[in-house]
Amino acid sequence: MELGITAANERPVRLTVSDDLRRGHGSVFFRFWFALPFLLWLSLWGVAAFFVAIVNWFATLIQGSSPPALHGFLARFVRLGVHVHAYLFLAAEQLPRFDGRPGYPIDVEIDPPARQNRWTVGFRIVLVVPVLILLGAFFSSGSNFNSTEGGFQGGGLVFAAAFLGWFVGVVRGWMPRGLRDLVAYGISYAAQGWAYMLLLTDRYPSSDPLTAIGPLPVRDDPVVLETTDDLARNRLTVFFRLLLAIPHIVWLALWGVVAFFAAIGNWFATLFGGAAPQGLHRFLARYMRYQAHVGAYVYLVGNPFPGFTGEQGSYPVELRIAERAPQNRWKVGFRIVLALPALMIASAYGTLLFAIALLGWFASLFTGRMPLGLRNAGALGLRYSAQFYGYVFLVTDAYPYSGPALAPPAVPAAA
Amino acid sequence: MLALAAGAVLWLVAAYALWHSTAAVPAGPSLSPHRFFSDSFLRSSSSYERFLTIDGLLGMVVLVVVLAVYARRGHRLMGESAAGRVGTGMMLGMLGFAVVWLAELPFGLAAVWWERGHDVSHQGYLEWALGSFLSLGGTFLFVAAALAIAMGLAGWLGRWWWLAAAPAFAGLALLFTLLSPYLIPDTSPLRGPALRADARALARREGVAGARFVVERVDRFTTAPNAEATGFGPTKTVVLWNTLLGDDFRRAEIRTVLAHEIAHLAHRDPLNEVGWIALFLLPATGLIELLTRRRGGLARPEAVPVALLVLIALQLLATPAFNLVSRRVEASADWSAVEATHEPAAARAAFRRLSTTSKGSPDPPAWSQLLYGTHPTIMQRIEMTYAWERAHP
Repeated sequence: MELGITAANERPVRLTVSDDLRRGHGSVFFRFWFALPFLLWLSLWGVAAFFVAIVNWFATLIQGSSPPALHGFLARFVRLGVHVHAYLFLAAEQLPRFDGRPGYPIDVEIDPPARQNRWTVGFRIVLVVPVLILLGAFFSSGSNFNSTEGGFQGGGLVFAAAFLGWFVGVVRGWMPRGLRDLVAYGISYAAQGWAYMLLLTDRYPSSDPLTAIGPLPVRDDPVVLETTDDLARNRLTVFFRLLLAIPHIVWLALWGVVAFFAAIGNWFATLFGGAAPQGLHRFLARYMRYQAHVGAYVYLVGNPFPGFTGEQGSYPVELRIAERAPQNRWKVGFRIVLALPALMIASAYGTLLFAIALLGWFASLFTGRMPLGLRNAGALGLRYSAQFYGYVFLVTDAYPYSGPALAPPAVPAAA
Repeated sequence: MLALAAGAVLWLVAAYALWHSTAAVPAGPSLSPHRFFSDSFLRSSSSYERFLTIDGLLGMVVLVVVLAVYARRGHRLMGESAAGRVGTGMMLGMLGFAVVWLAELPFGLAAVWWERGHDVSHQGYLEWALGSFLSLGGTFLFVAAALAIAMGLAGWLGRWWWLAAAPAFAGLALLFTLLSPYLIPDTSPLRGPALRADARALARREGVAGARFVVERVDRFTTAPNAEATGFGPTKTVVLWNTLLGDDFRRAEIRTVLAHEIAHLAHRDPLNEVGWIALFLLPATGLIELLTRRRGGLARPEAVPVALLVLIALQLLATPAFNLVSRRVEASADWSAVEATHEPAAARAAFRRLSTTSKGSPDPPAWSQLLYGTHPTIMQRIEMTYAWERAHP
């Protein structure tokens, strides 16, 4: 993915990952109970941190930087939070220590106190509101968006990843890398968020998945999202974005009805033929591309008004979909069941995309630019959604990869 | 040239036929409004309406100015699209209306402020703005569809696209009229047994026995009473606002309103309206073709902002003519209503109450009537009841 990478090591709060993905069956099975004492301890420490943070606020406001003693205490609290949550959500295997000392497989490095802008210190409580919204998208435990009226549903990404990881861990004794990285991504953002809230830094948290957890795997998946978007946004089209997308949403729904029946046809054809017929593969790939274009437009991941045909190369946020390939008939036959875990992650990514669109809307409206972190997080969500649909529509039998990843550069087709 | 002349003659014949499809109503005696309304009401209603009229006029001026600026500069927004010729045109069309919405927002809010101050509207400012913003979505969808058709035809037929587009749009207007009863939100069937019996009897008398009668809930937004007739064939429907069914109006007065709306259905007015729209569209689309040629014709997206300006300007220019037609249609429905009920006194009471509850002036100035008068003035409607009595001694 060409997503515009900022240097992770320039950040004052950095997550380090040295976990080897191996898990004990029993330790995963009883994970919550094992984590409970640490959660209680963290809560107690949290009460103390709350009062220390208030003192730190006054101190930082007066002298322009956080006093080293307070900074050290709060940094240790954030580190302990990272360890405990990494353990609870199965991003790491070892039991954490109670003192928040460095050295845990999922750890956080926090720079020493530095000068902070007093204005942002003074208004920190207001400035953290967007951070809390995004944290909700990562860590909410269930569907809170008007679920009683059948509205938008979906839990947090970290919860979804940990929930699925629990089953894999109990049965197979390891944590899939995608799920582990997804949890680590959420924890990285949370660590930055807490560090910002507790005045350990005045660097605003970045939701950029590409710099959240260190080196990312390079994966040549059959469905890859590429973006050449320059982050500039037109305020007029941003303000009316959702309304401008209405014709696309209607067209997408109409096309979706046809795609649904095409996918059923594709299921039978792939089950008997062993590979998707060329025509259906192309049709569904085009629909997926159009879906990605519209999604990018609605969620402000892309700027221009997309075309209505899903044409390859027509949009700065583009899907690269591999040619059809033979598929395992067993996986084809049980595709609907196999897709259920991915649906859970896709739904959680939907929550994240919703939060990104909301925050990106305000940011783009005021600055004329989409923040890089939000854009890249949105691109990650769209990529997962596209891979999910590619899997469900039998365009590919590669399971959607839930974590952030890099794609190898596109190879130009031979003349 | 000959074809143009023949077309013009055909157009005139069609307009003449449509005009005379609505029966003329004899004028009533000239009466003083002071006979029916108190001095204080006449003063306050006149002041109430003056503000809204001026607000509306200013909004209209802003509309034209904004669209003129957009016609000049709107094509610069083409860079915001990756949608190709037609898609870019659709985006420019929607953005044109978006800009108009933004520019007209203060005038809309001013009207809400005025109506709230006079207890005609219950809507909050934010609620109104949000509702207006969301309803813009419907406008966008309509504009996008219309531009997709027009630009698609322009790409295919070149300069003659408008000859196909006008009937296509008229067809869509027909379809919309057919489906419109089902697009009105928050409706429920007319429940009161007495009113239902009145409605059925009147519908039978007028030969529209299959008509539906529904009540639209509007009291959250306004206190003003109203009703409408919509649909045709199997969908013909009379919609009564629930503000009409409160304690203010007596049964005989509501019967007059029902008879008026049933008369619209009996006269096939919703269909006639589509006819007038078709008659407007033919020259309007032709003019759009002519005036967008400098931008490469409507096949090019950069012509869309100009097309919007032309369309809205023509619509504004045609408003007095449309209002004239509408007043004739409404007057005819009024007459038929009294013919059906034989209750001119109840009709007078209903018209009076319509004026007092909506705070509207019963006798607005002629220029206001020319620009905004879709119905005869309340005084003309009251006078009509006397004309009916004179004709039926």
